[in-house]
Amino acid sequence: MNSKGFSRLLIIGALLSAASILIIIQMIRIQNSTSHQELSRWAEEQFSYAVENYSPERGNIYDRWGRLLAGNEDVYEIGVMLEFVSNPKTIASTLQGVDDLTYQDILASASQEFDPKKSVYAVIADFIPSGVIDVLSDIKQEYEIENPFGRNNQEPSLRGLIWHPHLKRSYSENSLASNVIGFYSYRDRQDGIGYYGVEEYYDDLLAGAPMETFMPRNPYLLESLPEVPSGASLVLTIDREIQAMVEKRLDEAVKEHEAESGTVIILNPKNGEILAMATQPRINLNIYWETEEQFKDKTPFNRAISETYEPGSVFKVLTMSAAFDKGIVDEESEFNDSGRFEYGGSVIYNWNRRGNGKQTMQGCMQKSLNVCLAWVATELGSEDFYSYMNAFGIGRMTNVDLGGEEIWPLSIPGDSDWYPIQLATNSFGQGVAVTPLQMATAVSAVANDGKMMKPHVLKAIIQDGQQYNTTPQVLGVPLKPETAKTMTDMLVKSLENESSLALVEGYKIAGKTGTAEIPVEGEYGIEETNASFVGWGPANDPQFLVYVWIEKPESSPWGSVVAAPVFRDIVKDLVGYLEIPSDGVKEELIALEGQS
Amino acid sequence: MAKKRKHAYKQAPWRRQLRSMGLFILPIIAIALVVSLHLTVSARSASAGLQIMDMHYEEEGILRKIANQRIELAWASSYGQMQKRAEKLGFVVLPQESFHYMVINGYRGQEAVLIAPPPGSDQSPAPLVNEFYRQSLLDWFIHTFIENGSQTRGVQQ
Repeated sequence: MNSKGFSRLLIIGALLSAASILIIIQMIRIQNSTSHQELSRWAEEQFSYAVENYSPERGNIYDRWGRLLAGNEDVYEIGVMLEFVSNPKTIASTLQGVDDLTYQDILASASQEFDPKKSVYAVIADFIPSGVIDVLSDIKQEYEIENPFGRNNQEPSLRGLIWHPHLKRSYSENSLASNVIGFYSYRDRQDGIGYYGVEEYYDDLLAGAPMETFMPRNPYLLESLPEVPSGASLVLTIDREIQAMVEKRLDEAVKEHEAESGTVIILNPKNGEILAMATQPRINLNIYWETEEQFKDKTPFNRAISETYEPGSVFKVLTMSAAFDKGIVDEESEFNDSGRFEYGGSVIYNWNRRGNGKQTMQGCMQKSLNVCLAWVATELGSEDFYSYMNAFGIGRMTNVDLGGEEIWPLSIPGDSDWYPIQLATNSFGQGVAVTPLQMATAVSAVANDGKMMKPHVLKAIIQDGQQYNTTPQVLGVPLKPETAKTMTDMLVKSLENESSLALVEGYKIAGKTGTAEIPVEGEYGIEETNASFVGWGPANDPQFLVYVWIEKPESSPWGSVVAAPVFRDIVKDLVGYLEIPSDGVKEELIALEGQS
Repeated sequence: MAKKRKHAYKQAPWRRQLRSMGLFILPIIAIALVVSLHLTVSARSASAGLQIMDMHYEEEGILRKIANQRIELAWASSYGQMQKRAEKLGFVVLPQESFHYMVINGYRGQEAVLIAPPPGSDQSPAPLVNEFYRQSLLDWFIHTFIENGSQTRGVQQ
């Protein structure tokens, strides 16, 4: 290379270097200018981070065999980005009819003038199923091909129409077990909460922990994203098949007896698991907003835990158990029933106002003699009587894990609203108010060797991918095991001797009817009654306890006529479903097993 | 003669020019290499960041889809639907009297439902990076020549 060529190279190099230096100087100048710093700060504030709200998926609710009772459905919110709307008429004509939307309403929403400060986005519809969105997406794409970017606003275009996915609570069984499950107010997307039942009681667990985070838009800063665990899922003790069967039987009974309402509870007395809890009315949980129409005049959502009533003669099981346990009476004790019993300045009569002569305690229970039970209570004394009632949980919450439990306080000596006659009336279930669940729980002590288990509907919690099973809890031990056995035998014989309509062929069932008069204008009478039945079986190894309450039946006032057959029908279905062989078959099977 | 010798060892001017250019360009190339490396790594890290974001939204979508399919399955197998299907297929509920019980050794009835594993079961995910890439040269040396060597000797004995 000659010196001339080298000089040219030098000049080019110098020019390029000078240009580079100038560019660098300009860069430094811009970087350090005050306007750049302001712009940079503004951009950082506005665009570097996005606030993301993470709402965890609400936990599922399963029945005891893992069948889904409450889950979540993928739905969409449809809206318009006003800035980009090209043809509002196309949007209105495409969406009319979706979710009962009218052409005019949609057109009004889509035609709003874009204002960056006031109106940017307008919601047209929400909770639209994914199937509709698939169709909309296809139409939008078709129009976009024919009229790209909606440039020609005379041509059809869905430009500006957008949709956001989110989850909606869904109840696949509609009204089945609605009183137990409760509902989640999903239509309130910001402040939705659980109401009643499991949805209310375990709302915090099901909801999980919503999280608000700053998500960097700068991908260099994006190292990891927060893990938002979904809400815990619950496995209930409820058995869907038993629940459906019980609801069917209950509905039939309420209709047949022209009753105001009814309640049935099935629980396992050995561990307190509630297998079914059916009441009326029930609602389709997917349209929960109709609750107010269905539950007028303070009608409770779940009568089994929220409505107290005078239980009547089923309460005699507790009175007699207390007297046996205390040793006041035994199987040999006798009572001369004259048909009337004076106590505390008032007279107690039997249900038929007749005397029955000498009666054993077995006879008193079998004939359901108010007079005899009043005598037993007075022999026991008010202190011991109320002490036992307290031990049975009367007047106290069972603390069942369902939202909305109510109680009626038990009046005891010393209270301003307690009078001596109440000892006598309380003995046969009048002047005392309980919920069906309180009553079922108390009686379960007799069925379970004197041990009263806490009633519950939660079998397991699934959290962070692991299943935590619950442990049954003992509420108390109000009776000795031998008292419980004596009472069970007595109640088995009572049903057999009176050829009760509650009997199920081949099975030893213990139980007691109840007919409680309802005061009308302050006067107790047989015009309006609460018909109840409580029973359990098989008596030598109880697998279930069934409580039936039929409210104000018209066809007959008596528990033995109205409630006992409901119990029988339910038990017949139940023993088949639970694969409980009859007593005879069971003995044969045991013998066979012994041979093999 | 001496003058001639001096000329013989003096580099040609074009060589000197090339050397100067080389010395000037070399740091520029080095800087360009570093810058390009930095750009490549940055681009890849930005791409990874964007991928994380995409995967995050994808994950949300998949979770929604799973939830949706779960509830769809529940609707399809709900009590009412199953009842209808059973009736359509001609199934009837047997009366209790026609039940026949028998002893089946080992049968313990329907097992309790287990939707998720119980606590205590190993839930830790397998490491994402293969052990091979986490092994230091020293580890590899010890593993290959000392541990394996002693094992081989043990077999030979």
